[in-house]
Amino acid sequence: MSGMSSVSDSDLVRRCRDGDQGAWNELVERYSRYVYAIAVRGFRLPDDDVEDVFQDVFTRIYTRLDTLRDDSALRPWIAQLTRRRCLDALANKGRETPVDEAGVHEESADLADVEEAFAVREALATLSENCQDILDRFFARDQSYKTIADELDIPSGTIASRIARCLGKLRSQLEGRYDPEDGSRG
Amino acid sequence: MVSRCSPEWRDAPGVAAQANLISERAVELAHTDATVWDEALGALRGAENTPAEDPRRDFALEKKLTAAAAAPLEIATLGADAAALAALAGEHCEATYRADAAAAAALAAGGATAAAHLVRVNLGVRPSDPRLARALASERAAHDVAERLLESTR
Repeated sequence: MSGMSSVSDSDLVRRCRDGDQGAWNELVERYSRYVYAIAVRGFRLPDDDVEDVFQDVFTRIYTRLDTLRDDSALRPWIAQLTRRRCLDALANKGRETPVDEAGVHEESADLADVEEAFAVREALATLSENCQDILDRFFARDQSYKTIADELDIPSGTIASRIARCLGKLRSQLEGRYDPEDGSRG
Repeated sequence: MVSRCSPEWRDAPGVAAQANLISERAVELAHTDATVWDEALGALRGAENTPAEDPRRDFALEKKLTAAAAAPLEIATLGADAAALAALAGEHCEATYRADAAAAAALAAGGATAAAHLVRVNLGVRPSDPRLARALASERAAHDVAERLLESTR
């Protein structure tokens, strides 16, 4: 995890505008999977087109960052740039092969999944490192309670309740709620 | 179900989410177990037709048996996790559903026993094999929880 991984999107944009190379690297790292997911899962573009979209979107972000009006709206802005570029790619393909209209409509459901996945990812990033770690171990790495307990050196009997509490915090973040009971956000 | 029926319990949704995931994993592992065991059985039969001095025979067989041991071992581990989750639910859920949490733990313990049995008998592992030790530890952990819960709800 880089030192900038906890920097907000607004700060990241500001630092990029100031020419901070580290911030630009972080922006690419933070959003590369997002752009990729929209192109692949949302629009089902072939590999060659995905590569073109990817290059083009990040070139546009780099050259047009000054035109972003609300720095905190980086993600929707990137989503819009990516969607437009994907539609261009589909339109270009359509000159060679007709675009399947029904298929384009179906893609909106996949785009919603991509948006949801990234919303969860963003909410997850606001939780404490302990919470991020334990949720990642159980839900992404399929680790058992015993393995988690052994590796983190915490009592096995407390793992399930720790995960439940972290999920509660994640849910609060996703719903935009503040948790008054522990006075923190994760 | 126990968690979903306990709206006053703050961690209930988080426990229900874990229960869902464990349940999905169990189904996946059951399918995997059936597939890899079929393959191991095929390899065992194939070995009967391969000369004993062929070094590839033991290697191929060992590889298949290792894969076949992995799935029931994971199921045993999952049984222990399910029982632990049932223990947490039994402790915090609405009293009406405590017996259901105990029943869930008993079922999980049964699954862990069956899986450990497959690791021990069907796959021909030695008593000193660490995989068997892990499977038996999971079985024991699941049964300890189940017995405690069953006792508390009698």
